[in-house]
Amino acid sequence: MDPVVAEGLRISGLSYVLIFVVLGIFYGLIKLLLKMFPRRDDSA
Amino acid sequence: MSELLRGIVGMADWRVWAMFGVGLALIWLAVKKEYEPNLLLPMGFGCLLANIPFSSAVGGGFLDVLFKGGITNELFPILIFIGVGAMIDFGPLLQDPEMLFFGAAAQFGIFFTMMLALLVGRIPGVMGIPGLREAAAIGIIGAADGPTSIYVATRFAPALLAPITVAAYSYMSLVPIIQPPVIRALTTREERMIRMENPEHEVSKTVKVIFPIAVTLIAGIIAPMSVALIGSLMFGNLLRESGVTERLSKTAQNELSSLVTILLGITIGSSMGGKQFLNPTTLLIIAMGLIAFVFDTAGGVLFAKLINLFRKRKINPMIGACGISAFPMSARVIQKMAQQEDGSNFIIMHAVGANVAGQIASIIAGGLILALVR
Repeated sequence: MDPVVAEGLRISGLSYVLIFVVLGIFYGLIKLLLKMFPRRDDSA
Repeated sequence: MSELLRGIVGMADWRVWAMFGVGLALIWLAVKKEYEPNLLLPMGFGCLLANIPFSSAVGGGFLDVLFKGGITNELFPILIFIGVGAMIDFGPLLQDPEMLFFGAAAQFGIFFTMMLALLVGRIPGVMGIPGLREAAAIGIIGAADGPTSIYVATRFAPALLAPITVAAYSYMSLVPIIQPPVIRALTTREERMIRMENPEHEVSKTVKVIFPIAVTLIAGIIAPMSVALIGSLMFGNLLRESGVTERLSKTAQNELSSLVTILLGITIGSSMGGKQFLNPTTLLIIAMGLIAFVFDTAGGVLFAKLINLFRKRKINPMIGACGISAFPMSARVIQKMAQQEDGSNFIIMHAVGANVAGQIASIIAGGLILALVR
């Protein structure tokens, strides 16, 4: 396989997986925030 | 006298006429069809200014000054993001954080198109897309997010900036035409009729204030290249959600956004010189932009269908298509489609949640590509 195409494939796959990982971290963050500050709290 | 005549003589070049046609077509799309008029109209006029023979607006003129001062150094897209952040309400996403994953899934078109650009560029006889950086810049049209496309293209393929920007904004405005047939091809009527309960709980102000700060820090630490993009978006959002900077938030949403959009549009238009724009690569980029949007939509819908295999409470797979950034157009399109199948089905809250998730995901995608592609 052309090395540039192979590198493109590697970067594409890795990037796509990493997007899920980063957004998965955000998911955990939101869940944590919702647990810590469960309801309307206008004092902040 | 020769000074006066050289403009007329310059009109003998067919590319001048062709680019006048392109500029007028953009203005027509903006005025008559109302396709992204805030951007396409300045772009069309900028194109006319740049292609008038011996124009004083370019070649050291004010449009060159704007290009160096706002595009080359990436200032304009960053400022636009502050305005976009101030306009976005992350509430629907915070109420239903699962929607984040649809934002991720619907970035598929970026990477599919990037690979396609690389492969097409290697077909003998086809005008080449020389390397990985150019292919990545073309793929990022699939972010369905103008500022991210401009940001990445400026760094990776400045010579392709004009066609990439035209494709990104044109297809964003064409989302109501592009997405429905793709969604219909991949879903059954029963799937499109799936109802989803709206989340009932309110999100506290504390969460809304902490969220943009935490996302900036986390995304910045993981992908420092994304700090400028995600940081400006989240800064704008913090202005909105803090509740103490209403004047700044309104300024970011209105005056700042409008001002920078004018400058961004006319400056991008000025980069559409006939010599650079009129070539087969431009046509390839325009075609690949469409492919990127189609595969974004397909990626989101198919991911939703995949998740449904493991869930008791099914998700309407059309929600997956909202993970494409194109905010808020995509959410509106999906709500309209849901109501076409069942007039009393309201999935707009979920659709908006996935749509703002797409906004975040597209920036993360841009940051990762900037970090990984050498």
